Amino acid sequence: MSHPSRNTISKPSHEHGTMRSYVIGFVLSLVFTFIPYYLVVNRTISGNLLLATIIGIAVLQMIIQITFFLHLGRGPKPNWNLFFFIGTVGIILIVVGGSIMIINNLNYNMLPHDQTKKLTNDEGIYQIGGEKTGACQGQHDNHKVTIKNSQVSPLQTLASKCDTLTFINEDDEAREITFGTHPDHGSYAGEDELIVRKGRSKSITLSEAGSYQFHDHIKAEIAGFFTVTP
Amino acid sequence: MVTNHETAHMVDHEAEANDRVMFGFWVYLMTDLLMFAVLFAVYAVLHGKTLGGESGRELFSLPLALTGTLILLTSSFTCGIGMIAARGGKKNLTLLWFGVTFILGLAFLGLELYEFTELIHEGHTLRSNAFLSSFFVLVGTHGLHITSGLLWMAITLVYVIRRGLNSHLVRKLALLSLFWHFLDIVWIFIFTIVYLKAFV
Repeated sequence: MSHPSRNTISKPSHEHGTMRSYVIGFVLSLVFTFIPYYLVVNRTISGNLLLATIIGIAVLQMIIQITFFLHLGRGPKPNWNLFFFIGTVGIILIVVGGSIMIINNLNYNMLPHDQTKKLTNDEGIYQIGGEKTGACQGQHDNHKVTIKNSQVSPLQTLASKCDTLTFINEDDEAREITFGTHPDHGSYAGEDELIVRKGRSKSITLSEAGSYQFHDHIKAEIAGFFTVTP
Repeated sequence: MVTNHETAHMVDHEAEANDRVMFGFWVYLMTDLLMFAVLFAVYAVLHGKTLGGESGRELFSLPLALTGTLILLTSSFTCGIGMIAARGGKKNLTLLWFGVTFILGLAFLGLELYEFTELIHEGHTLRSNAFLSSFFVLVGTHGLHITSGLLWMAITLVYVIRRGLNSHLVRKLALLSLFWHFLDIVWIFIFTIVYLKAFV
């Protein structure tokens, strides 16, 4: 080997960095480091605008460093490195963006147990989906509503908050008690529907004050009112 | 003529091998980037879950983070200058610039370890809450990369001192500088999303 091996590497198969490109990259990177720092410290702008700005500058700085330090996209064609990079960025956008979106949605829809408990106590919600929450404890009055021969008696019930209301079904068919007026189906204190089978009864706790209507989902003319005073 | 032809053939072969190795290393960097992206996603999701503890705004120091950023950025620059020297076959300049890069990298790592020990002394550990878990894992993973980069750099520089700049070592340095620039780019996002965002 008469030729020193260092000569064999001088053929530029890639566009290599020059002093100029490194200096430009360095200076631009410094500028784009100080700008977001200054913006955050001095609070020239704030909130989501500031957040969007600093993330935008970070992306800009990434592009600067990729161009001036990594020299991506200036090699021989086809530029597989660039293709692979773009593919990776695509996957990252899907994975990161998707994760953040899904998890935030779950956070929003599924409150942790202790938070739910605190909320129900604060709001006096006695039941959620048929499960007691611990609010409205102690002795309270009980009111009865009897459904017999498709008639509701009494038609109107007056109660105080935390009392219980019992629907007694003396008919030969099941009743599906829902709240609001037919055909709208509302809910009361977290209860959407109360199925009372023939000859049976079912109770709810009146944990929300106000005037409400209830009716049978099957026979809408079977309806009544109750008023809960706080 | 024959020797020229053979030399030219060797050059092509060498360049082709270089391209292949570079691409392979690039693929590794991109998978590493994916890993960091997932850690960023975890941090983005969990950074508010402090379990009643202090948030980033109370725990982080912006001047410290800026100092670290400037050190790492400068090291990325000196690494590039070192690479120019290496391609030019200037052994001493290569050693000088990569030596500066190594010391800056060490300083960066020292700052990060200082920040971590301060936090842990104040009782803010990996196990305190989901926010700190994700913080330590994200920043710590970057720190581990820096550590392995420094080890790699030290070993390569010892080889350069002993054997001089041969094509094999220049290629090693080129991969190393690629790795180092990559870590700098990842750090920009840590600086922005972890440190700056905490103060927005």
